[in-house]
Amino acid sequence: MEDKRIELKKIIMDTRTLPTLPGVINKLNALSENDKASVQEMAKIVASDQVLSARILRLANSPSYGFYRVSTISNAMILLGVNVVKSLALSSSIFAIMEKNSIGLWEHSLGVGVAANLLARKLGLPECEEIATAALLHDIGKVIISLKCVEAEQEILRLVRERQIYIREAEREVIDTDHAEIGGWLSKSWYLPEKLSEPIACHHDVASSQNHRIKTSVVHVADVLVKASGFGNSGDRYVPEIQQVAWNTLKLDQGIMADLVDTLEDKLVEVRNFSLEMMAE
Amino acid sequence: MQKIPLMLAKAGMVLARDVFRGDSPTGMPVCGKDTQLTDALITRLDQMDVQSVYVEGHPVWEEGQRSFDELLGELDLRFEKCRENPLNAMLYDIYKAHLTKSMGGEGGRQTD
Repeated sequence: MEDKRIELKKIIMDTRTLPTLPGVINKLNALSENDKASVQEMAKIVASDQVLSARILRLANSPSYGFYRVSTISNAMILLGVNVVKSLALSSSIFAIMEKNSIGLWEHSLGVGVAANLLARKLGLPECEEIATAALLHDIGKVIISLKCVEAEQEILRLVRERQIYIREAEREVIDTDHAEIGGWLSKSWYLPEKLSEPIACHHDVASSQNHRIKTSVVHVADVLVKASGFGNSGDRYVPEIQQVAWNTLKLDQGIMADLVDTLEDKLVEVRNFSLEMMAE
Repeated sequence: MQKIPLMLAKAGMVLARDVFRGDSPTGMPVCGKDTQLTDALITRLDQMDVQSVYVEGHPVWEEGQRSFDELLGELDLRFEKCRENPLNAMLYDIYKAHLTKSMGGEGGRQTD
């Protein structure tokens, strides 16, 4: 069994056919960690990719952000903040990868991104944008499974339908790993920072998260919320259990959750529009 | 209370929440709740870039839109596997209350 898993990891991680992130994203990541980098320098990098620039301007001008007429990348960066532009760049690249596979999964991911952002802000956590990005990417492993293991995916879907189990249980049975673990492998091969890769890898098992348990908990709870709301299509029909350890880590209570559900449901209407906007391109 | 795109707003509907300009969602409201919409008002709101409004009741039924009972049935189904978990049971109650409220029930939030 162990052999099979290593074999599979090899197949999945075969870099020649793995989706890649545009070089711009890596440069942007590198530059934004450098304190001396100016907004103009970063804007220049983004501007060198015309498709990406067009997308960012389009999104920056979208009503979801409520600003009026942003016409240059550096203005977008100043108005929205470098981190927002970075996650816009990342999310539009992820969208390009996911779109071909499944709109339902894309909507689910986008929904979880929004839910995680709302929750993180409500709790006053630092690095909300990073948490939202991790949430956006949390199911990237599912994309890889459907790209790399077409037969296994059919088998997984069949098991989920016939035995009415969670997709993760079916994955464990068929390929002896799951989308969370695969997402973790992929984010390592993309050299994403640990604060992103750990929440992706542990979002179904918060207890296994060592260094970024708060972020992981937010992604976990956001995932449950969006599944409960029935928004998008993650492939799972049933809401997973909220893990007690995540609940305790974030010190959640009923009042916080009720408020969050209200704001989230409001936002999800906008998310649907946003998703339609991306597809209209 | 229902959120509808301005395109679907009709004269006679009553606003359930204050309306804000499309380009400054946190600024001053341009039209107060409880106002009855007129064609002229709808045109004005459109010129101000307002995308959607909240109206009383549940006046717009889109094709294929599900009824309250259907939505509740789907909610029950989604929670079928995890109702035993007390945290999930709590979440179920929250969602059920939300659903009741958003389908035109009383007690909805009146302002943002």
